[in-house]
Amino acid sequence: MSERVRNVLIVAVMAVMAIALTLLVSTRPADVDRVEEIGSRIKCPVCQGESIANSPSPMAEDMMDLVSERVAAGVPDQEIIDELLGSYTGAVLLDPPASGSTLVLWLAPIAALAVGVGVIWWWQRHPGAVGDPPAPPTERSRTRLVVGGVVLIFAFAGILVVASNSLQDRPAPASGAADLADQDLTEVSDETMEAVVAANADNPQVNGMRLALAERYFDAGDYRSAFPHYLEVAEDPDATAAEAITALVRLSWMAYDGNDEVETATRLVEEALAIDPNSTVALYVKARVRWCGAGETDEAVTIFETLLADPGVDPETRARIESDLELARDGEGCP
Amino acid sequence: MSVTGQVLRWTGLAVVGATVVLAVVLASRFGTDPGLVDSPLLGEPAPEFALAGLDGSEGVALSQLRGEVVVLNFFASWCLECREEHDDLVAASESFSDRDVTFVQIGYQEDPAESFAYLEEAGRSAATLYLADPGSRTAIAYGVFGIPETFFIDTEGTVVGKIIGEANALILGATIDAIIAGERPGQQITGDTRQQPDP
Repeated sequence: MSERVRNVLIVAVMAVMAIALTLLVSTRPADVDRVEEIGSRIKCPVCQGESIANSPSPMAEDMMDLVSERVAAGVPDQEIIDELLGSYTGAVLLDPPASGSTLVLWLAPIAALAVGVGVIWWWQRHPGAVGDPPAPPTERSRTRLVVGGVVLIFAFAGILVVASNSLQDRPAPASGAADLADQDLTEVSDETMEAVVAANADNPQVNGMRLALAERYFDAGDYRSAFPHYLEVAEDPDATAAEAITALVRLSWMAYDGNDEVETATRLVEEALAIDPNSTVALYVKARVRWCGAGETDEAVTIFETLLADPGVDPETRARIESDLELARDGEGCP
Repeated sequence: MSVTGQVLRWTGLAVVGATVVLAVVLASRFGTDPGLVDSPLLGEPAPEFALAGLDGSEGVALSQLRGEVVVLNFFASWCLECREEHDDLVAASESFSDRDVTFVQIGYQEDPAESFAYLEEAGRSAATLYLADPGSRTAIAYGVFGIPETFFIDTEGTVVGKIIGEANALILGATIDAIIAGERPGQQITGDTRQQPDP
């Protein structure tokens, strides 16, 4: 075949391809084709690397139905894709966008092609060079080869390390109860504490938060809200001694102060003292209930004096006991 | 060195350099789980929906809840993590029911009757709206990759928070507390999600 004929054939083939390409681009695809074409560009969010057009998953089918509806309504392709991008970000596109950090993925093949073409072009311009016998390796070139190889190996090892470190682990599911110990409760609303306590009702670790919540209600004078939480802790066999004593003492005081039930209050505080006969808070509340509720001033004075003899009582409590003791000795009423 | 040797050397270096750059780019993308990227809805108006109840009842439109904080959770009976967080959602829903906070739970990729039967067994909150999502239109509009996923919508109708994975009462409550205080908690990742039922 002569060179002229060959050139004519090449031009003819290129012309046919150009015409075919033009027709392909300019012809508006049918709606079904459009749906398939758009679907083939959208990654199924619940699959591994499959388009919604190819995935049999129900979610992909639902997304294809959505695309189909939009196409039937005359919505342009890009608007349909933009709608999905508005919900899923670019992660829903099968092909990475030709911008930002993924631009290099698009440019790399072109660059490789350009380098290849350049090398071929250079060899064609220097035909003699191809046939040159290879120069015998010198000691220097061998050293360079070894150093270059080592550098390359370390470079790829480094990339692998960086890549493995950048793998994003999802954290283990958080346990509400496990988080309770570290939580700064001053930042937490009553509603949040109520929700945590309700959701972890069977977990003894929640008693701390339950008592903290009850104390908030107690301090605010909201006995009705505090009562069920103190009762829950008092009846919990897994509660610690300190938790049980706190709950029983508060229940005792609320029984007296809220309902004027002196007998119930005395019984509850005795239950606390059965756990720890030397509990300062239990003894103090017992003295107050006996003094304020039962009018047993002498009994209260004895308990106050016993408490003051204990050097372990903190200064604030000591001051309060001393004040009450003075009033009781003077025959004054319970404040 | 001959001219040929120089050309080959520079060509080799160019190929190695390009390969390294390409490898770095690919490696940097390894860490990007599409299910963990920040939702583009954060800071945007919440997509509107009007859905019937899982039991076929009248249901609700999101616009009807304007002025309240809405906690929007996607769930299914086949999702283990959804079962794990269920009691916490119920507790938080009931606890915040007096604070203009409404919990909405939408069945995901499941027959509404099956979702409803599961709720009958697991227990429901009287304060929560349980809705069906035919054709997954609402799940698609919210860009759900897997469940459980929970969105937080403020009183102005803006998406201000999202939890990917199992939530608990403390996280739910703290997020709601922050929204009531005028903050925008953003996205939190707490654990795994399920894309579809186990085969």
